[in-house]
Amino acid sequence: MTPLLIFIGVPPAVAVATEANQITAASVSGALAHGRRGGIDYKMGSVLIVGGAIGSYFGAMLFTVLKSTGQVDLVISLSYVLFLGAIGGMMFVESVRSILRNRRGDKPATFRRPRTWVDALPFKMRFRASKMYVSAILPLVIGGLVGVLAAIMGVGGGFIMVPAMIYLLNMPINVVIGTSLFQITFVTASVTFLHSVNTQTVDVMLALILLTGAVIGAQFGARVGLKLKGEQLRILLAILVLAVCAKMGVDLVSVPDEIYSVMPAGENN
Amino acid sequence: MRMISFMSRFLLGGLYSLAFAGPVMAERMVTDLSSHVIEITAKFSGTELLIFGAIERAITQGSRGQDIVVEGIDYDIIVVVQSERNDVIVRRKEMIGPVWANKDYRTLKGVQGYYAVTTTRPLSHILSAEQRRLLGAGIDQLKIDFKEPVSEKEEKSYRDGFIRNMKARKLYSQQEGTISVLDDILFRAILSFPANMPVGNYQVDVHLVRDEEVILSEHSSLEVSKKGLERLIYNFAHDYPAYYGITAIILALFAGWLGGFVARKTN
Repeated sequence: MTPLLIFIGVPPAVAVATEANQITAASVSGALAHGRRGGIDYKMGSVLIVGGAIGSYFGAMLFTVLKSTGQVDLVISLSYVLFLGAIGGMMFVESVRSILRNRRGDKPATFRRPRTWVDALPFKMRFRASKMYVSAILPLVIGGLVGVLAAIMGVGGGFIMVPAMIYLLNMPINVVIGTSLFQITFVTASVTFLHSVNTQTVDVMLALILLTGAVIGAQFGARVGLKLKGEQLRILLAILVLAVCAKMGVDLVSVPDEIYSVMPAGENN
Repeated sequence: MRMISFMSRFLLGGLYSLAFAGPVMAERMVTDLSSHVIEITAKFSGTELLIFGAIERAITQGSRGQDIVVEGIDYDIIVVVQSERNDVIVRRKEMIGPVWANKDYRTLKGVQGYYAVTTTRPLSHILSAEQRRLLGAGIDQLKIDFKEPVSEKEEKSYRDGFIRNMKARKLYSQQEGTISVLDDILFRAILSFPANMPVGNYQVDVHLVRDEEVILSEHSSLEVSKKGLERLIYNFAHDYPAYYGITAIILALFAGWLGGFVARKTN
């Protein structure tokens, strides 16, 4: 959503910080719903949150430095081009493959993580809800990465965390979504707080408007989603993600209409 | 006797000066604004301000105004509206590898966040460049100082870049020949303010010009402030950022919970 806010003219720094606030709202009801069903591994969630808090702290610090040196808009755009390109590309390839596979009638390949370096890490902890015994370092690092991304890009980080939890941590699917929503709620709240204090870039009114739109949009989306096949939906989403990525990339490399920009001095210095 | 002669001379002298330099000979001008306060509320999307006034012309004593020669408009009006001055940073983008990124910057000292000038005729026809500079009338005559050392060429390009930015945001404007004068007495100027106008005290100057000379200048002030919810939120965010952040989080948590609750009930 942050790129769209930037396209309509919201300053990138405000878009990122406000989006973090909006994601807090968007993920809390999901987290509560999963919590009621027992779909949250609270212990794993807490470790991820500790990582997320540290990550968001450093991310917000970096954000503040970038803002005062006038580079924050560039870094936000570059991060988006990179991540949207990678994710959109992977989604696109994956859904095309699976459509082709379905046509040929092949069975989807099953994935089982082999025992690797992950199991060799120290500081092992037992996570009862996930029925796992793994090192706390990996969830801390994943949480930290998500925290940095949330602070700089205004994303929940679900797109990083869910694959990481499934493929790297080998967590059972039934707690992955709930736990990631649980962590995202706390990390985006932390980002909201840090950006409010450091750069005053959180716009509560804008966040509320976005949230209202998101609640209504989700209802429509659920109905449209029922009419489309999963693979078609994914390919559409992949194309959308790649289009946004392309637009941001073109904006970065094309000659700007105005090479000078003005901002008040003394802010965040 | 000497005393009396002195007094009579003094009196005569007084009368003499009254007759030639008294109030009857000089122009008078009264001006006012349609509003002295602009309130920026949450719904604020820009506004217009009417600056109006009347000129009382110079009349030769005893003529009852019949010998006034009016050849077109021999008076001109210049209206200048400007906000408080603040420092700004102007950044210049350059090609760095494949992307355009901000590289150099200069700090401009004490520039107006809002500046508008409007006149009865093109400024260059009304006043000489020197007088315009002294009066601060016209965007090209604005005094812009740099904090960092700057070459002449850079000064021009940064200055032009700054002014283009401000014009694009409708914060700087220059409209020549848009003040209308009715019967050579009443004049009105309309200035527009964009939604992103800076807050603070604005200065409104109305100059009456004749024969390349400023005869009269009237000054008034205009207060621009955020009001209502908008003001509350702005002040809260800047004065108590930590509490603002916590409030934003609580609001988001509550709104998210409410949204989920409503969605569950309606499905």
